Amino acid sequence: MKFSDKAWSPYLAGVLIGLLQIPAFLLINTALGTSSSYVTVSGTVASFFDPGIAGIDYVAKHLSGAKNWWQVATVAGIALGAFVSSRLSGVRRSGVSPVWGRALGTRSTAVRMILAFVAGFLLLLGARIADGCTSGHGISGMAQLAISSFVTVGAMFAGGMIVALFLRKV
Amino acid sequence: MSVLTAVVIGVSMGFVFGFALEKSRVFEPGMIVGQMQLRNFIMLKVFLTAVITGLIVIGIMHGFFAVKLVPKPLLYGANVLGGLILGAGITLAGACPGTVAAQIGAGYKDAWVILVGGLLGALTFSYLEPTLKPVLLSGGPGKLTLDKVVDMPFWLLALGFALLLIIVLVLFERRRPWSEDIGENYDGLSRNS
Repeated sequence: MKFSDKAWSPYLAGVLIGLLQIPAFLLINTALGTSSSYVTVSGTVASFFDPGIAGIDYVAKHLSGAKNWWQVATVAGIALGAFVSSRLSGVRRSGVSPVWGRALGTRSTAVRMILAFVAGFLLLLGARIADGCTSGHGISGMAQLAISSFVTVGAMFAGGMIVALFLRKV
Repeated sequence: MSVLTAVVIGVSMGFVFGFALEKSRVFEPGMIVGQMQLRNFIMLKVFLTAVITGLIVIGIMHGFFAVKLVPKPLLYGANVLGGLILGAGITLAGACPGTVAAQIGAGYKDAWVILVGGLLGALTFSYLEPTLKPVLLSGGPGKLTLDKVVDMPFWLLALGFALLLIIVLVLFERRRPWSEDIGENYDGLSRNS
């Protein structure tokens, strides 16, 4: 296991991610999560155009405070960590993954970009309705034995697998 | 805690998170679509290992050091509907809300578009939330956890569940070694399929 390796065992990566619960609980009094940061960032940007958005309680409680900006910083840190890791190993990516040519049956960048936009929209609409994503409900909720998280993760894999049936085999 | 301190902690924790996501290759869209088609199991292995580690450390922190849990409230309608939409998004994005950032860091260009779509999805939910609240986001039994349902100490059930998941992963790894799923170009794709 070296920093310059192109791939580590999924078990090593999983342990590292799971250990992040220690600083999350002890320093921030919360569990690992990522999706509510999208509310913080989009709400902050939107408040310049529509100051009334801060009147929505749900938005107001996401706009300020250490916990909210901790999560935004975590997501930014993820990009930084992945950037440095890919630099150290030399596996840099560009354009789109070849999986999309296989799964969609077309190499059109326009098709992929439209789908990526729709997918991103669904990703966060769903995560916010369920009150958490793969990290908040998945990694953190299941580790706290929360029934809401078992239900959400079950639905998440069901939804993902149903949609995957409509893609070509990769 | 000041926002600045929280941000420094967040960036440091995110750095480790992103480093682990990139090194495990689980941020690759090929891994995610492959997992959802049951052709690739890297995602499940990283995910369950993170859950197991979390069960152990949270079990110890809560059970022996009285650290407070923060489970989310149970709302069957919202959890099922939201989970289904989230899952559809994960397959079509080839990413989760957190791994989108790893894709950006690693260089994938479509990840920026996923990010913008995600911000608009979150904003749309924010505007809809007051309307959805009475129909979908209220009521329910509250922050219910499995230890309360079966009336067992949290730490005991958490460590027991962790042990069960470890056994499942060890047996599964014997049948399907992780190295088979990495792919020649580290993107989860086999050369011809």
